[in-house]
Amino acid sequence: MSIIFGTAQLGLIYGLLAIGIYISFRVLNTPDLTAEGSFTFGLAVSSVMAAAGHPFLALLLAIIAGAGAGMVTGLLQTKCGIHPVLAGILTMSGLYSVNMFVMGERANVTLIGIETVFTKAMDAMPFLDKNAVKLIIALLATAISALAAILFFRTHIGLCVRAAGDNETMVRASSINVDGVKILALALSNGFIALCGGIIAQYQSFADINSGVGILVVGLASVIIGEVIIGKRSVTVGIISAVAGSVIYRIIIALATTYTLLPAYMLKFISAVIVAAALTVPAFKQTMSVNKLKRGGV
Amino acid sequence: MLKIEGAVKTFFKGTPNEHTALDHLSLSLKEGEFVTIVGSNGAGKSTLFNAVCGTFMLDAGAVILDGKDITYQPDFRRAKTIGRVFQDPMKGTAPNLTIEENLALAYSRKKKPLFSPAITSAEMKLFREKLAEMDMGLEDRMKTKVGLLSGGQRQVVTLLMCTMNVPKLLLLDEHTAALDPQTSEKIMQITDKIVRENNITTMMITHNLNSALKTGTRTVMMDSGRIILDIGGAEREGMTLNDLLEMYSQKSNKQFDNDRMLLTR
Repeated sequence: MSIIFGTAQLGLIYGLLAIGIYISFRVLNTPDLTAEGSFTFGLAVSSVMAAAGHPFLALLLAIIAGAGAGMVTGLLQTKCGIHPVLAGILTMSGLYSVNMFVMGERANVTLIGIETVFTKAMDAMPFLDKNAVKLIIALLATAISALAAILFFRTHIGLCVRAAGDNETMVRASSINVDGVKILALALSNGFIALCGGIIAQYQSFADINSGVGILVVGLASVIIGEVIIGKRSVTVGIISAVAGSVIYRIIIALATTYTLLPAYMLKFISAVIVAAALTVPAFKQTMSVNKLKRGGV
Repeated sequence: MLKIEGAVKTFFKGTPNEHTALDHLSLSLKEGEFVTIVGSNGAGKSTLFNAVCGTFMLDAGAVILDGKDITYQPDFRRAKTIGRVFQDPMKGTAPNLTIEENLALAYSRKKKPLFSPAITSAEMKLFREKLAEMDMGLEDRMKTKVGLLSGGQRQVVTLLMCTMNVPKLLLLDEHTAALDPQTSEKIMQITDKIVRENNITTMMITHNLNSALKTGTRTVMMDSGRIILDIGGAEREGMTLNDLLEMYSQKSNKQFDNDRMLLTR
């Protein structure tokens, strides 16, 4: 029972990560490696602020921290003309030092016995099971964020972001500042990712400087699993399926580890394989259809 | 309306590939004038458009639009008052957005609050009416992704996007060259209609000398970054295709090197 609860909680919280990755990878059409740094940035800020006794303010600051990191990457990409992937790597790399500084030059911070949004909610709802409370918080955070993202993409500026990822020339020709739009979108994306990190820190009462390693692939796997299972007709569907994909991803992991199909350290490898395989499908289909034509089939 | 003064643009300066695309070129357009621009490949026609749009800045000279010096204004600011349709139908529209989303984005040139709805129902109605005027059957496919449309249909959408908020200047960069003759003809008719109805100051690059003389009110011929011929009014009325070709070889001391121009006679 607790595995089911735990999986659902983690899946929903990491749904925030999936939303952030969806925005950079699918909407803006660039894989943004800032995610690895901004996730830990959110985690670090949140844990330090929670330890200082401000668990709610901690989450707000985590969002701001992530958005700031995203803006830096955006500026490097647009104003400095650095290749998008390299811009992300630069920010990610620089953030390692920043995160170390935020965490007080320690590689990890524990929040055992410290008030978090989860313990506060448990105190407020003593009649409910602790796991149920955690689930409610996770559900609330993800639902509100997903709704905010969906509504954002229905506004004028949201449409500008979508168009910027689709055809830059056309956006410029429509008298829209593409650079500004990209910076904003990266800030938004990394804001979600840092919030995810911030909630995770309080959820597990623990923050580690290396938490962000491989997080981009986790996010990509969630987005892709969601697309395969639910679809990607529109941005609204895309965001919902990203969250769903995140939950399914956690279920896969839970099954794999519970039945010890695989040792835990293999998870990142499996995630990488899932993403690589899913992204190969279009090219594979193309080759197959050409082969079929060569053989004289229809 | 538009004044280009002593425009100079040199590419690959200081290298063996140095190429002067615009050579102290000056051109001035009156309000409502429709200028067709002809010239062989490399004459500097597209460079002229890029300079007016701000794709790059001029080495020397000035661009003045409606009394305002826009020489150093960034491209997206200029786009507020300059509409441009490219030769490549893929360039003017976002393929993964629907027709109405594309139109809404272009329509927002009229200032729109950032967090207002992307498309209002009033806008939807307006877009439908405008598309119906084009008579391409697009008004019933508002929710179709533009990537699924044909080249001609995409150019019509682009044309509408560029002219819905009437621009001060419309630039057409061989916008029918990638289309089949029939569609090309149709798009030219639509272009002519839109330009005349809204009295838009327009420049059109074309390799089709026939339509260069038939469309618009004035024809400019370019060679090696300069204007070598500028005709309008009565002189242009009586001009035939052969006269134009004759004039080209006289003025530039060379024959048309582009067989495409000869083929479209």
